[in-house]
Amino acid sequence: MLLAACQEKKTLPILGNKETIIKQGKADTLYQQIPAFQFLNQDSSWVSDRDYAGKIYVADFFFTSCPTICPKMKTQMLRLYERYANENQLALLSFSIDPDFDQPHVLKAYADRLHIKSPKWNLVTGAKAKIYELGQKSFMVTAQEDKNEAGGFVHSGAFILVDKQKHVRGIYDGTKEQEVNHLIEDIELLLKEK
Amino acid sequence: MKQIPSFLGLMAILAVCIAQTSCQSKEEIFRQQYVVEGMMQYEKHCENCHQKDGSGLKDLYPPLAKTDLWKRLNANQIACIIKNGQKEAILVNQKPYQNYMPGNAKLEALDVAEIITYLRDKWGNDPRIFPLDSARLALKNCP
Ligand code: HEC
Repeated sequence: MLLAACQEKKTLPILGNKETIIKQGKADTLYQQIPAFQFLNQDSSWVSDRDYAGKIYVADFFFTSCPTICPKMKTQMLRLYERYANENQLALLSFSIDPDFDQPHVLKAYADRLHIKSPKWNLVTGAKAKIYELGQKSFMVTAQEDKNEAGGFVHSGAFILVDKQKHVRGIYDGTKEQEVNHLIEDIELLLKEK
Repeated sequence: MKQIPSFLGLMAILAVCIAQTSCQSKEEIFRQQYVVEGMMQYEKHCENCHQKDGSGLKDLYPPLAKTDLWKRLNANQIACIIKNGQKEAILVNQKPYQNYMPGNAKLEALDVAEIITYLRDKWGNDPRIFPLDSARLALKNCP
């Protein structure tokens, strides 16, 4: 018994709202999914949810002039970028929460200084309301303007892990190396899912 | 908030002193306290960009360890960068950086003195204190 329990494979939960529906007389659970979106990246190309179809990705919310937690988040995201450089099933996606300032050319300069490339790691910008809504409703993180915060925005340092079916499978503190180690373990699990 | 760590720091140093029986000079204890305090300030205000080990981050944030910083700038100039930030193009180890470092308006002269003492000790190969009076004067005369 004990042995069997130990060998049971760990799977990650699906986060967010769920809804039970009756389909052909059977109960089925529908999980919240990341909805369609479309934004411009650092190369001024369109990036949409379709680019992430069938991919695992890690998303976060940042802004280029952020003095507080973003540098830590980017340090950790860079670890993922380097570790999974040759893993085509995994991509990274950073949304700017200061899109008025973070125009594609600003994102481009930032990406160049970080030595990162699209589409492996897209930095995206667009309509502020759309980005905030996506952040709050779908990625389940705080992202909004606040004049009292250093830099002018409050946002969480969360990294959100999304699976190939657009389900959120984990949320991690992207400012902490330990937490990101945990994220890496979970990515390994997801890579083994079909 | 501030008193507890400094007290702990002092206790730690005292413990080392007692263990060694021959105690360091009063000045050295005082400097060590600056270093400990400076390290905590560094972790709070600088580490997110310049990294714990001072290595910086790619071409975004310049390193503070193993750099020609100390040949180019003196402590007074560094005090002003800490307090007021900087956005001019600079050359660090011959490599160009141009990005924005925000100022730290809330830091007091004492904090700046401690941070610089820490930077000197850790990466400047310079075991001298940067005294509070010097920090005050430097900050008063920032460009
Ligand atoms: C938000 C990120 C950020 C934070 C936080 C930060 N810095 Fe900087 N620092 C920079 C950037 C970017 C530059 C380069 C600025 C430029 O291009 O002129 C810089 C430059 C410097 C320089 C000049 C380097 C040289 O070789 O000329 C020093 C010294 C320095 N920082 C010290 C500190 C200290 C000490 C702290 C903490 C009190 C700190 N910085 C906090 C981003 C940061």
